[in-house]
Amino acid sequence: MYQLSICHLYPDLMNLYGDKGNILSLVRRCEWRGIEVSVKNISIGDVFDPNEADIVFIGGGQDYEQGIIQDDLSGAKREAIRTAIESDVVFLTICGGYQLLGSHYQTHDNKRIECLNICDWYTEGGKKRLIGNLAFQCNWLPNAPQGIIIGFENHSGQTKLGEKATPLGRVLKGFGNNGRDNQEGARYRNAFGTYSHGSLLPKNPAFADYLLSLALKRKYPEFVALTKLDDSFETAAVSALIDRFQVKRT
Amino acid sequence: MINLRKSLAILVCRMFVWAMRILGSGGTSLPGKVALKICPTLPEMLAPQFRIYMITGTNGKTTTARMVARLLEDAGIAYMTNKSGANLASGITATIASACTLSGMRKVDTLLLEADEAAFRVMAPKIKPHTVLVTNFFRDQLDRYGELYSTLNGVKEGLSKSPNTIIVLNADDSLCASISTGLSNQVFAFGLSPQVMQPAPDAGSSDAAFCIRCSSRYVYNAYSYGHLGDFSCPSCGFSRPETIVTCDRIMMEGSASSTISITTDTAKYVANINIPGRYNIYNALAAATFAETLGLAHETVIKALANFECGFGRMESIEADGKEIKVILVKNPTGFNQVLQFMRTDTSGSVVAFLINDLLADGTDISWLWDVDFELLASNQQQFKRFYTSGLRAEDMAVRLKYAGIYKDSIFLEHDMKELLMKAMQQVDRGGSLYLLPTYTAMLTLRKLLKKQYKLRAFWK
Repeated sequence: MYQLSICHLYPDLMNLYGDKGNILSLVRRCEWRGIEVSVKNISIGDVFDPNEADIVFIGGGQDYEQGIIQDDLSGAKREAIRTAIESDVVFLTICGGYQLLGSHYQTHDNKRIECLNICDWYTEGGKKRLIGNLAFQCNWLPNAPQGIIIGFENHSGQTKLGEKATPLGRVLKGFGNNGRDNQEGARYRNAFGTYSHGSLLPKNPAFADYLLSLALKRKYPEFVALTKLDDSFETAAVSALIDRFQVKRT
Repeated sequence: MINLRKSLAILVCRMFVWAMRILGSGGTSLPGKVALKICPTLPEMLAPQFRIYMITGTNGKTTTARMVARLLEDAGIAYMTNKSGANLASGITATIASACTLSGMRKVDTLLLEADEAAFRVMAPKIKPHTVLVTNFFRDQLDRYGELYSTLNGVKEGLSKSPNTIIVLNADDSLCASISTGLSNQVFAFGLSPQVMQPAPDAGSSDAAFCIRCSSRYVYNAYSYGHLGDFSCPSCGFSRPETIVTCDRIMMEGSASSTISITTDTAKYVANINIPGRYNIYNALAAATFAETLGLAHETVIKALANFECGFGRMESIEADGKEIKVILVKNPTGFNQVLQFMRTDTSGSVVAFLINDLLADGTDISWLWDVDFELLASNQQQFKRFYTSGLRAEDMAVRLKYAGIYKDSIFLEHDMKELLMKAMQQVDRGGSLYLLPTYTAMLTLRKLLKKQYKLRAFWK
């Protein structure tokens, strides 16, 4: 009997834009397969134990709330997160959470905000807000309709990847990481970052299953593959958007 | 001395309004836009001769405006108002222009203006309202405003530039209550008495859990809904302000109305509110407080709340073949959650349809659906015959229902709204209701359809 522990960091502060839908997607897809799953919420003042989490989720937040967590993330908690990522715990981080894993955020008026400095990326605040429907090509997700992932982005931060990180996909519609290099998202080990809301995983179950598989493989050496689920509703949603936005795979 | 630019702007504006009415179009942003192009300072030129009441906030503006309109009518105060959701700067300008003769003289003393929060920031300093009602602040249309706090600050900025404006605000909403901090405006607060509230929070996430002044986590003595409640900050002491108008008892919350007891400084009275739902009790309190500031008699408030007509899509009920059609506009998670709560008590064999668009007026980012507590609906899904999804994002809505736990066999997609109405009505049991929950532009389409079929009043009257 398989079991996964999901850890939701700062659910009360970094919960903008319906990102809790990602947790719901992971939980349901486990339940529907008979995989035991639990979600633990960790917020300000709570201890984060890297050994207790199989999947960690960090959503996006408003500037005001993101300011509040800066203090909480110094010291032990930051090191615990670093340990988790370096030992291949699966992380899904959206928008503000994604930026947080990088080295720093340089605001538009040149103020430098230190981030966790665990992953090889950094973010610069731009003047323009990058908003709109987002589609990107992920060839490493063959089960996604045409390999296309669809979401919605809303950020003024422009993220640039260093050598130790790889982009998640190629932008087909929208801006992606910075609106310039045509790349969206980033991956370092099993830590994934993306600007895609939507929310992301419910409509893109191939991505959700990929994360679940990674977590299960890491925990259970005998694990082979997830049982297939009926994803016709999800496929219909993505297909409708591919048609509507005339997204073409490259 | 006739100002040609001003008169031309008024003339053109009123011609556009007239033309659009003839053409059967309910949309009213064009006349105002054209008027402002001709005469950019038109609002500030025309406003001073009026007594202007404004209503702003995230949810409840239109319903509160309807209640206040009825109050004014019953009190014999002639007014003009911007109904039908024309609450941006353009719609407000058009309303002001429509209330003037061609030479710019007022045709009526009083204007009642509903204002979207961003429009309020711009317009309040220009037209300097006598009183503003601020209903609440919730996360709404994230793609348009970006952030809740910038919306809040915008309204505050508008108020700071109009220091003589009386503010009527919701004491239970920490964000709303914070609006008057540092301002010299006179404030009248309304709210539920903590003894009427709940001991525990609802499942929905709070949009404002942390003190707006010092960032500590609020402590709640009692909860209302969303982030509303009897809040206080243990660090800096910022807490729910004293209320001038309080609901100290809720006697009845039914499917068509509520009955509450209202206390003010000087009296206590019972009022029946002609529209159901806890959130509409707040709207009624806002209207009652407004009446207090005007010195209107309690009898007038009681009469208005019992008889006012709610706007389309705000719980309007249409009778059809022994069944009821209820159209309820959904705009943001908190409002949606309140509607779902309201529907919980319906066991009459009803059907629910969600019509979700993602155009500019609906909010282009539908991520907010994942912050709505459909799991609550799923926990009593046996009460409902079927769930339909429609609109531009019908498929996304179906995915949302699936993950909420609604059985796949109960979820039906129907893009064609006419087909949807027909099929869904067939499914509703006699004595039951068809709940139509549309986003804004879907509501406009629905309105046209229902008007044809059931001969409803014109939208803009």
